[in-house]
Amino acid sequence: MLAGKAPGLQHPNSNSILRGLIITLAYDDVNRTVTKRLLEKIGCEVTAVSSGFECLSALSNVEMPYRVVILDLQMPEMDGFEVAMKIRKFYGYHWPLIIALTASTEDHVRERCLQMGVNGMIQKPVLLHVMDSELRRALQSASE
Amino acid sequence: MELGQMQKSLQDYTKSLFVEGILDSQFLQLPQLQDESNSDFVSQVVSLFFQDSDRILNDLSLSLDQKVVDFEKVDPYVHQLKGSSSSIGAQRVKNACVVFRSFCEQKNVEACHRCLQQVKQEYYLVKNRLETLFKLEQQIVASGGMISAMDLGF
Repeated sequence: MLAGKAPGLQHPNSNSILRGLIITLAYDDVNRTVTKRLLEKIGCEVTAVSSGFECLSALSNVEMPYRVVILDLQMPEMDGFEVAMKIRKFYGYHWPLIIALTASTEDHVRERCLQMGVNGMIQKPVLLHVMDSELRRALQSASE
Repeated sequence: MELGQMQKSLQDYTKSLFVEGILDSQFLQLPQLQDESNSDFVSQVVSLFFQDSDRILNDLSLSLDQKVVDFEKVDPYVHQLKGSSSSIGAQRVKNACVVFRSFCEQKNVEACHRCLQQVKQEYYLVKNRLETLFKLEQQIVASGGMISAMDLGF
């Protein structure tokens, strides 16, 4: 985990909204590395995990107040929806925020996300500015 | 070759990769993630992609060579390769994986063998081109020049 540095993209007074701990769950090394780096670049502190178990374990660590989980929905050999469901079951619907990464634009995916208590969705492959704005949007609505 | 010429060569070479569809715009995300504290990010991620892909292609070959092909095993490999190639902008590899997956769904062994060959071909192509790209960059740096995202010609 690295401390985030404020990048040139954002307005200085809105950096605080992004300063928070994030878990990113992706199955393969390349995606995990890219997503982690992307989040760090926009100012977040990131823990990258590769299994639902690691994700839930990280969340249970009271010394690390994670605010958001970035969850890849389509992982081979792991059901992202199941992980989301478990997070909501153990931690409730207000925290942490869950932002899903999906390759699919289909309605049923969106609906299922809403049912699972997912707070935001980003289409893969992820663009830096899209991650930035979706994170801000989700954190903003959560604080309202 | 003088520095200016080398830099022009690099620009032209990089551009050709996009024109030929070997790379797509996702590849341009990577230099944005590189900075002083992560000065090797692009080459690190690309190396990671090569390592993972070599392993997956090997596992895929083994799985497809079984007497009875277990598509429950084959599909996740292709899925993973599709995801990682997509993240780094290896467009033709990704597209070949999409086709491959549709034949996995149909459980068509023969077509899957052909798809694997296609994926391997596209993969070795992008691997070769990227290795050349990095060599060109190294030559420029070794001659005292600097590489920036601008050198990608966009």
